[in-house]
Amino acid sequence: MVTAAAELEKDHDHHGPAKGIGRWLFTTNHKDIGTLYLLFSLVMFFVGGAMALVIRSELMTPGLQFVHPEFFNQMTTMHALIMVFGAVMPAFVGLANWMIPLMIGAPDMALPRMNNWSFWILPVAFSILLSTLFMPGGAPASGWTMYPPLVLQTGDAFPFLIFSVHLMGLSSIMGAINIIVTILNMRAPDMWLLKMPMFVWTWLITAYLLIAVMPVLAGAVTMLLTDQFFGTSFFLAAGGGDPVMFQHIFWFFGHPEVYIMILPAFGVVSEIIPTFSRKPLFGHDSMVYAASCIAFLSFIVWAHHMFTVGMPLSGQLFFMFATMLIAVPTGVKIFNWVATMWRGAMTFETPMLFSLAFVFLFTIGGFSGLMLAVAPADIQYHDSYFVVAHFHYVLVPGSIFALMAAAYFWLPKWTGHMYSESAGRLHFWTSAIFVNLTFFPMHFLGLAGMPRRIPDYPTQFADFNWMASVGALGFGLSQLIFVYVLLTAKKGARATDRVWEAPRGLEWTVPSPAPYHTFTTPPKARIEEESFK
Amino acid sequence: MTRGDIDRRSSVRRTTIILVAVAAAFYFGFILIGVLRA
Repeated sequence: MVTAAAELEKDHDHHGPAKGIGRWLFTTNHKDIGTLYLLFSLVMFFVGGAMALVIRSELMTPGLQFVHPEFFNQMTTMHALIMVFGAVMPAFVGLANWMIPLMIGAPDMALPRMNNWSFWILPVAFSILLSTLFMPGGAPASGWTMYPPLVLQTGDAFPFLIFSVHLMGLSSIMGAINIIVTILNMRAPDMWLLKMPMFVWTWLITAYLLIAVMPVLAGAVTMLLTDQFFGTSFFLAAGGGDPVMFQHIFWFFGHPEVYIMILPAFGVVSEIIPTFSRKPLFGHDSMVYAASCIAFLSFIVWAHHMFTVGMPLSGQLFFMFATMLIAVPTGVKIFNWVATMWRGAMTFETPMLFSLAFVFLFTIGGFSGLMLAVAPADIQYHDSYFVVAHFHYVLVPGSIFALMAAAYFWLPKWTGHMYSESAGRLHFWTSAIFVNLTFFPMHFLGLAGMPRRIPDYPTQFADFNWMASVGALGFGLSQLIFVYVLLTAKKGARATDRVWEAPRGLEWTVPSPAPYHTFTTPPKARIEEESFK
Repeated sequence: MTRGDIDRRSSVRRTTIILVAVAAAFYFGFILIGVLRA
């Protein structure tokens, strides 16, 4: 019986991908699905980016120039929803699909057919969401937080918004289940948990966060739906409901969501910095505990997003100090990255440049987060451009830079060719300059009192807004260099199996490009590690 | 050792069922909070 199974296995291993569109529609291969996720997220990155440019064009000078204020609100809402759920999250799931089986020595994801479903739900969800732009009343315009009662004033788009959010949540939950089941059940025999690479560890923790909080968002929007169409009053004050309860439930989802978007970024950076420092990661186990600690704390800080709704002093103190506590495990991570580089033989290829910028610029976002955690100060900063500056520093030179770093780091493994290093470095430097030109002035705008989500502003804010808009245009154009790198990715020199000088991990033991089927025979993780000494 | 030697189906099924149950508990649990509070 085992022999027959092994024979079947042998036959299976030798077939390549299916031909034509059917390969992509019906694929259960983790590499194909990873590629689909990554390409989808890139498209969404440009769609969301185009909306950002509409916002920044309108804000370039005072007065109303290009768009109706209502459309401006639709742009801010759709930009956020698309970037969060369509660009950053699917991009990290794409990386997880591609790399986790390779890193743990598994032949594929544990639930490959569900993997196919998880991906193909996404284009449907975003087609529905984007279609609302053409509906009577336009797209949702109440912000990505969908606070009632404002969101209930959305026109025909409302049920489509709710349905698309449900689909995005379903996709995320299915993806998260797949990742956890894969990591817990499909590791190579010698790969015990604390031996797993940091990218796998951070994704394991992220997947638990997803399973805990995406259903909470789904529950919240289900209640919005029943309030609108089925006569309930969960959040309607007139019917005895409580709109502030929505904010509590939303942010119980929303704050861990922030870590869902940053923990895999920590994992990526923890893979790249040791490679280009030619040293093992400093404090691997402490990194695992720090990420777990951050994940736990993310569940008990949600109300720092809503200090201004009014809460007892004890509540303010609890959420303020719990939030500040997150700086401790985050500091452990920053320290470990710096300690990894300390006395390392560092080189500065594109993935390393993006990772270094990540460490420096994400820390700026972390510090402004600490400022926002101070309850009395937050009452002043709340709903100002200071908040916009803060979370964009965390998400753009944070999550997006880590995604870029990951793409450059693993691209030769995916394509079998080296990308254009000069184009990569140009992409990095233009991105790094323009991202700061875009978001740093927003700190000053916020501290000077400019509110978020407005299409017009007093002339006192004109100079910094002009700078931010020029920066945004430059950042957007810089991303075209990345497209050029991708389009020419197969024209470079052949990549070796190890690609870089000192990479660690099982993914570097398979050929470049990675074959369609890998690790049909489980590798010996310990032996592979020895070979890199 | 080949993949055919290891049968992970039962542990995969068990982990999946547990995780689906956890997700469902969070979904219905928070709606229950809404019902009790409203």
